[in-house]
Amino acid sequence: MSAPQPLPDADLLTPDEPATEVAPPSRRRGVPAFLRRPGGALGAAWLVVVVLASLTAPLWVPYDVTAQDLGDRLSLPSADHLLGTDPLGRDLLSRIATAGSLPLLSSALMLVVAFGIGLPLALVAAERPGRTERLISRATEVLLALPATVLLLAVIGIVGNDIPLVMAVFGVLLSAAVYRVMLGVAQSVRQRLYVDAARVDGLGSVRVNVRHVLPAMGTVIAVQAAQLFGIGILVVAGLAFLGFGPGEPDPSWGFMINDASSHLFDGPWLLVPSGLVLALTVVAANELADALAARGGAGARRRSRRARTTTPAPAPSAVPAADPAPVPDDAVLAVRDLRVSVVDGPDLVTGVSLTVRRGTVLGLVGESGCGKSMTARSLLGLLPDGVEVSGGSISFQGTDLVGLAEGELRGYRGSRIALISQEPMVALDPAFSVATQLTGPIRRHRGVGRREARTIAAQLLRNVGIVDADRILGSYPHQLSGGMAQRVCIALALTGEPDLLVADEPTTALDVTVQAEILSLLRALVRDTGLSVVLVTHDLGVVADLCDDVAVMYAGEVVEAGATTAVLDEPRHPYTMALLGADPHVPDGEPVPERLASIAGTVPSPGTWPVGCRFAGRCLFATDECRTPFPAVPAHGGGLVRCVRVEDLALHRISWTPEEAGAEIAAVDVVPTEITAGGAR
Amino acid sequence: MLAFVARRLAFAVVTVLVAVLISFLLVHASDTTPGAVRLGAGATAADIAAENARLGWDDPLWQQFGDYLAQLVRLDLGTSLIDGRDIEADLASRLPVTASIAVLATLLSGVVGVLLGVTAAVRGGRLGKAISTGSGIALSLPQFWVGVLLVYVLSLQAGLLPATGYVPFSTDPGRWLQSVALPVLALTIGGAAIVARTSAASMREVLGAEHIRTLRATGTPEWRIRYVHALRSAAVPVVAVLGIQFIALFGGSVIIENLFALPGLGQASQAAASSGDFPALVGVVVVATVVVVLVNLLLDLVTAALDPKVRAA
Repeated sequence: MSAPQPLPDADLLTPDEPATEVAPPSRRRGVPAFLRRPGGALGAAWLVVVVLASLTAPLWVPYDVTAQDLGDRLSLPSADHLLGTDPLGRDLLSRIATAGSLPLLSSALMLVVAFGIGLPLALVAAERPGRTERLISRATEVLLALPATVLLLAVIGIVGNDIPLVMAVFGVLLSAAVYRVMLGVAQSVRQRLYVDAARVDGLGSVRVNVRHVLPAMGTVIAVQAAQLFGIGILVVAGLAFLGFGPGEPDPSWGFMINDASSHLFDGPWLLVPSGLVLALTVVAANELADALAARGGAGARRRSRRARTTTPAPAPSAVPAADPAPVPDDAVLAVRDLRVSVVDGPDLVTGVSLTVRRGTVLGLVGESGCGKSMTARSLLGLLPDGVEVSGGSISFQGTDLVGLAEGELRGYRGSRIALISQEPMVALDPAFSVATQLTGPIRRHRGVGRREARTIAAQLLRNVGIVDADRILGSYPHQLSGGMAQRVCIALALTGEPDLLVADEPTTALDVTVQAEILSLLRALVRDTGLSVVLVTHDLGVVADLCDDVAVMYAGEVVEAGATTAVLDEPRHPYTMALLGADPHVPDGEPVPERLASIAGTVPSPGTWPVGCRFAGRCLFATDECRTPFPAVPAHGGGLVRCVRVEDLALHRISWTPEEAGAEIAAVDVVPTEITAGGAR
Repeated sequence: MLAFVARRLAFAVVTVLVAVLISFLLVHASDTTPGAVRLGAGATAADIAAENARLGWDDPLWQQFGDYLAQLVRLDLGTSLIDGRDIEADLASRLPVTASIAVLATLLSGVVGVLLGVTAAVRGGRLGKAISTGSGIALSLPQFWVGVLLVYVLSLQAGLLPATGYVPFSTDPGRWLQSVALPVLALTIGGAAIVARTSAASMREVLGAEHIRTLRATGTPEWRIRYVHALRSAAVPVVAVLGIQFIALFGGSVIIENLFALPGLGQASQAAASSGDFPALVGVVVVATVVVVLVNLLLDLVTAALDPKVRAA
């Protein structure tokens, strides 16, 4: 356990063979994750010490708990009495240690009762939704609404100072709380597929619960047990403080504090030892619960830190495009050599240059994880926490947005550049009506009064194709359908009459029929208002349909850009060809392909990008020259293509079809010199 | 909305009935009898039996329960076995003491806790960490220990506040505030810590939500995003926790009332429990349950006002 183990993933991350994903952190066997948090380790250690010391107290305490020494009353800690003495000269250490077993054991009893009732009920209720679940849930709701402390006092009034029995009754009351938490967990566990599979396999209900459901609930049970244990200790001490506990001369933590409260003048020290032990024990139980609850989170954090420190330095971005493309006169937006990175971490986007002309739509297309959304969000300065623009420029109508203060950027957001997001259903504030959410920005951007803002809001909703605008204005987001919510989001984006609209996969979350409606709405807006749009999508059909220009992104950089017709009709980069080959849309009049092409592998994650062409690892045509840095070359009129073999491939009229590709590669590889010669001739 | 309120009211009535039934059964499961409690240690068995018969203790259980319910409907909680005092009048004079402490402590916990929690979530960094660590410890401290510490520091050492005693508001508002200040403070330390934790977690979650990004994208000022939009969404779990806090403070007031010598409900329940004064005990249970149920009702309404989804359901 003490010997450092070799890192199992160390050799996976050598620079020449990038791992596609970061391996999970190495686990030191034997040390549970929650003990690696200081709170968890200290809490667990203190609980172990207190439990051991209390249970073995009769064996080691230096004094009899009832031995009085009236000549040595209320003394401070000394060699004779390590924690001092009480008002009757009794040794505090001995009394505190002896008093511990009652709260610890009766709290444990309370836990057994609470979980013994609450857990089986939760499992039964999770297994039988409907009447059984409702019945149990109602009953526990009533139990939860009872005033626990008063009831406990009533129990004491009737059964007397029998603390374990009282705590068992408390356990019955708490079982309702246990049930509530456990029911939620059990329900979600049961929804997992493997539990279904076990049931279909014919495993009995008890065995399904014991083998599959209970183990998955382990963490939550441990967290709640630790918390309730702390509460139990507090309740026992509180009762003892009131005099409901072991009577004098037997010691109890709570009564010692009560004793201390009547000796504040002559012996304030008395308050410290008993109170501190009690407080630390409860703090320890809660810290342990926190550490147990954070177990999953800690693992994830550790992983990301590892990912940062062990991945190779970001590959020097392939030599930037020969020279910064000149900015055309009608450009609304000109992004040049943009770099977006995790703070103190890998780059997410490098060397991206884009130009959006007035009244046109630029498509940003690529697979998930290629940096499309990061690029789009950087245009509004709305990158997630810990991500920043680390280089390049974003020139919007002549002003460089990079480096503007947050307050200055805010002046652009909404009024000059607006955003439509991917998830319309969660993009609106659930707590406010549509009217409130629209009129706020309208009043701010246009400086109009409340009533006029409402008129404008209704007009905007009509402009985005909503017929009964008044009804929608009075609705809340949860009452809207996805398509309706996206229309409202578009209206919201238009409140400030922006010049540029950034649409981040605006149709991905919608039904196919609704997608078409939203796209035609966007098209109409561009046509009618002269709006410019940056449209992020992974759907080439959408690009063909809507975009004037397109930039294909792969692993954080633009691999091919140009006019949409040029790029889609004559793709020059193998990745664009692959995307087109994998696109299920078939243009009218063309034969349906026998099979769709696919792209093997996945996009390398940031920090693991190879040197040279980042697509080389998945490219059917990659050769050694692809693995050294090279510049992008101009293509498609004003566009570019970032492929070192672009001339070779064009010569061979290569297309991305796996069967052909094998042969083509062989041919190309065998006769490279001839090709060059042929080209020269 | 009306159906919603009706459902909650029905639930409230059932809860009170269950509380009465439980305490009623507990009383009858006991091996002492009201006659024995009333007549004290010196009474003979025959005297006790006669007294029990007079009090109706020998009637069938269901009849006694029915009688008690009928009494309850007339808002009559009976008389004490110990000194014959009128229980509902006694509890009515005690309710304001407990209620004022619980209400003040809940409000203060809410204000301080939300301020700390929102600061931790918005600022983050070292301050945020300090707040979360501090509240993690503060919520584990035993209230009565904190109370005694506060008495020692603020009352004995600094001489700022009276250590014990209660002055009714109607007598002298200034001294009333002084007399409840220490108990309220003792309860607020733990309460504010719990609220701070909840509001920090809730606020962090909301600030990362998609609709907050939408607000940023429309150029909404940051203060408005934080304190109008995010806080409103984050408030739903915080209100729930505040309600639970109030219930816990109300029920748990017995310890703090004992410590600060406040004549509240908690003190009455402690006295009743240690003397076996059954009618008083059941009376406290009834009053406490009614308060808890009413607060829960109020909470449901506040949550419905904050969350349009609940309103619709």
